[in-house]
Amino acid sequence: MSLAGAAAPARRRWHLSKGALAGLFALAVGIICILMEPVAPWLVSWPKGWSLPASEWIGDGLGWFLAAIKPAARALSGLLAYPMDAANWLLGALPWPVVIGAVTALGWYLGGWRMAALGAIGLGFILGSGYWAESMNTLALVFVSVPLALMLGLAIGILAYEVPRAKAAVQTLLDVMQTVPTFAYLTPLLLLFGFGPVVGLIASAIYAAPPMARNVLLGLERVEDEIKEAAIMSGGTRRQQLFLVELPAATTQVMIGVNQCLMAALSMVIIAAVIGGFNDIGWEVLLTMRKAQFGQAFLAGLVIVVFAIIIDRMSGALARSRSPRDMRVVWGLLGVSVLLGILSLGRLPDPASFTLFDPAAGAVDKAVGDFTAANGILLDEVKNGAMFYMLLPLRIGLDQAVLPFTWGFQWTPTHSAFFFAAAAALGGLFALRGRIATGALIGCLAIMLETGISQLPWPFLIAGAGALGWMSGGWRLTRFAVILLALILVSGLWERALLSLYLSGAAVFACALLGGGLGLLAAINTTAWAVLRPVCDMLQTIPLFVFLIPVLMFFQIGEFSAFLAICAYAIVPMIRYTRHGLVTTPADLLEAAEASGATQWQTLRDVRAPYAAPTILLGLNQTILYAFAMLVIAALIGTTGLGQSIYIALGSADVGLGVAAGAAMAILALVADRLVQGFAEERRHALGL
Amino acid sequence: MDAAIATKGLWQVFGANAKTALGEALKEAENTGATSEDVALGLRDKGLIPAVQDASFEVQSGELFVIMGLSGSGKSTLIRCISRLVEPTAGEVLIDGENILEASKRRMTELRRDKLGMVFQHFGLFPHMSVAENVAFPLKMQGAKASARRSRAEEVIRLVGLEGREDAYPRELSGGQRQRVGIARSLAVNPDIWFLDEPFSALDPLIRRQLQDEFLSIQASLSKSIVFITHDIAEALKLADRIAIMRDGRIVQIGTPTEIVLNPVDDYVREFSRDIPKGRHMTLASVMDPLNGTPPAQDGPALNTTMTLDDALANCALTFEPIPVRDGDGKIVGVVRPEMFARALGEAGT
Repeated sequence: MSLAGAAAPARRRWHLSKGALAGLFALAVGIICILMEPVAPWLVSWPKGWSLPASEWIGDGLGWFLAAIKPAARALSGLLAYPMDAANWLLGALPWPVVIGAVTALGWYLGGWRMAALGAIGLGFILGSGYWAESMNTLALVFVSVPLALMLGLAIGILAYEVPRAKAAVQTLLDVMQTVPTFAYLTPLLLLFGFGPVVGLIASAIYAAPPMARNVLLGLERVEDEIKEAAIMSGGTRRQQLFLVELPAATTQVMIGVNQCLMAALSMVIIAAVIGGFNDIGWEVLLTMRKAQFGQAFLAGLVIVVFAIIIDRMSGALARSRSPRDMRVVWGLLGVSVLLGILSLGRLPDPASFTLFDPAAGAVDKAVGDFTAANGILLDEVKNGAMFYMLLPLRIGLDQAVLPFTWGFQWTPTHSAFFFAAAAALGGLFALRGRIATGALIGCLAIMLETGISQLPWPFLIAGAGALGWMSGGWRLTRFAVILLALILVSGLWERALLSLYLSGAAVFACALLGGGLGLLAAINTTAWAVLRPVCDMLQTIPLFVFLIPVLMFFQIGEFSAFLAICAYAIVPMIRYTRHGLVTTPADLLEAAEASGATQWQTLRDVRAPYAAPTILLGLNQTILYAFAMLVIAALIGTTGLGQSIYIALGSADVGLGVAAGAAMAILALVADRLVQGFAEERRHALGL
Repeated sequence: MDAAIATKGLWQVFGANAKTALGEALKEAENTGATSEDVALGLRDKGLIPAVQDASFEVQSGELFVIMGLSGSGKSTLIRCISRLVEPTAGEVLIDGENILEASKRRMTELRRDKLGMVFQHFGLFPHMSVAENVAFPLKMQGAKASARRSRAEEVIRLVGLEGREDAYPRELSGGQRQRVGIARSLAVNPDIWFLDEPFSALDPLIRRQLQDEFLSIQASLSKSIVFITHDIAEALKLADRIAIMRDGRIVQIGTPTEIVLNPVDDYVREFSRDIPKGRHMTLASVMDPLNGTPPAQDGPALNTTMTLDDALANCALTFEPIPVRDGDGKIVGVVRPEMFARALGEAGT
């Protein structure tokens, strides 16, 4: 706890730092709860009878509301079916040489030969995989949803920029749009728009609009003041200033928004496959996964990845300045492909008949089968070891997880007493040496480990979150965290929320350790970064859904697989931000450290790390949000908690449960987000950045 | 005739409810006779920031009026009040007698389209437009036709010496060239009033001097009414017809360059002019004794009241005989005329 360490030595004993106060308060609440458990069990687990039937209320309220706007929604749905069908028909009817030629030409235009080759080879792979028709269906959805998302995002971004009073509200709305799990709003959308691809279309437009809006807002805010003033002094009206000067000057940032919007739309379109009814590539993955045809699932997953890479790299090129291309090449490529398409009309083999990679898929299947058969014991050991010695204790606490069957002995109250005594001794030692906050933290962690996250006393957790809020952002943040968490508590979703908290917490913790370490390695060793960087790029391009395939191959359905999938997805920001923070320390600071005779390690510990702290905290923040996003997707392969509830709600069209669980999930994510951001802000402020 | 630009009791106060707080403080000051300095102090105590305090001055038509002050003195805020890029908290800004603070949005747009031009410290060029498009942008706002815009833009680009770079983009230009574009753009609609906000501060000393000279020659032919902001006293003295010196949001002195150098009102202004080679800015008029009785009979060098001290000294020195200069052994190796000292020292001061 650096905060406690920052207190002046002379005042240490008399003046408790904020961190120490917060830590002691949370610890006190925790101890009281545990001691009182025998007489007041309600202090530990919230009695069922006290819960409000929030799911039913939300279900009834929303049901009424949805019924009211259903005709309008159905009309919209009918309207959207036209562009949908048109795009579908166009991409389906065009002979594949024309599509490949067009994408190659676009690649050339955007990024020269490299990009053209990427387009041609990528689409060639998709053609060869035999998933051409499914891919074109997915592409059609993306094509129709992205313009919607772009317009929506642009409008929201401009609104937030033009009306300063609306900005805070808009930003909260964007946060909510992004933190409410995607599955959660599929349920009401399903009721509104009826079964079919339009639901996926609208869900992806909702999901993809926020990154666009954020980047538009950011870009507009970052336009230099003098450029804006020059537009005013030139006598432009507000509209002229905005559309002729400010938006064009923000092009780079807006294009980053377009890129992120495309990627989000693709990701969501694929997730929306779970509602089915549309023969797209996401559905194919789901289907083959359910049938345990991992080779085919892997192949379909690769198709999605190839799609994602093509879309990402090509739209990413939009944000970079590029030299003008020779348009003759573009027309030439288009002409040749159209010619080929016409010449071969009616004689083209059906793309579905291509099975170039089926042998490979079969081989993968067999290899995975052989591997799991040969190393099944090892894999099981890894899985069980992680479950019994890490995940389970975290989830239900040492007092229940330690059993003769796994640990070799039975945990008894005596063990607990010793455990707490040891923690108290260690914490007390720190406190005596002036590091009261660290001591209190050790106490809190001991309680967490002994009782397990899913069985933490509710006052302890809420008090802890409130205390963290007070430390990082003052009373406002405390109020925010306490009220929102209390909402989950009374809604009757508390237990499930704790299960979600436990799994994402474990994943975030693992990511923080491993990702932080890798980021550190990448910062001090350029070779390591050269290896890690493409891996990170790749992991960030892959739609969430695809992460499930490889873990499923080796570890089957279960919590450990979900844990791995979450880690694989959420680790990237931690690596990136840690490295970025460490390598962007200003050169003059490093020179000053070197001139003072600091070794490389000392420089890292005393100069770079403190300077990088706010950036690393932002990375942690991203990791947390990523983990929550993936948690819901991971419900597909077996997690308990809110994710599972949302998924069940989707299956049974239970709007109340779906929305309530989605809201609870969003609350967890938002509270975690605000707390970490608060700390990052506090650190930045302390560094005068 | 009205002054081209006039401000009366202009205040810019930042902070919550600045307008009400200032209004109350001013009303109270009227009753108690408190000075604007007292009012500003009172506002500071309330946590408000009076960035511009009670600024009043007039700029005559064709006058080059320089506002000089250190960073944080409020000079940039002041020029943004006059151009109404920020909304002043109190006071009046009159352009040709019209109070622009009461002008409607539409009227303000009109004024900017026809009458006002502005140059910015960091140029404020539109990154997505070529040089010609940047320069023609105010004309486009006026609604001029594309061909007319292009020909006028080329004309102004020639005026600032950038012909041949019309189709370059700002990122391809050097700092000096960028500011030439900024100047050209601000002159495109041929405005009567020209605001320049530290136009040369971001440039290298050499380029700065070059642009200052060109700026003076452009002004000699165009005679705009100018408000020019700078933090550089040498630049102010070189360019200005009159200078206003700002400190902590207040204008502490307004005067011609000579007045500023010769009669600084306080130590703050004196501190500025201390490093200034006085010989180059003071004229004989400021040091001579008035004629008392009959003129001296001596037939000296030709001197007049507007001559700088440097020139006068050189002229006086001409009347001396050459003086021999010896080497270490006492042998005469050259001659020096006192007039040579005066010239050498005068040059050293530049």
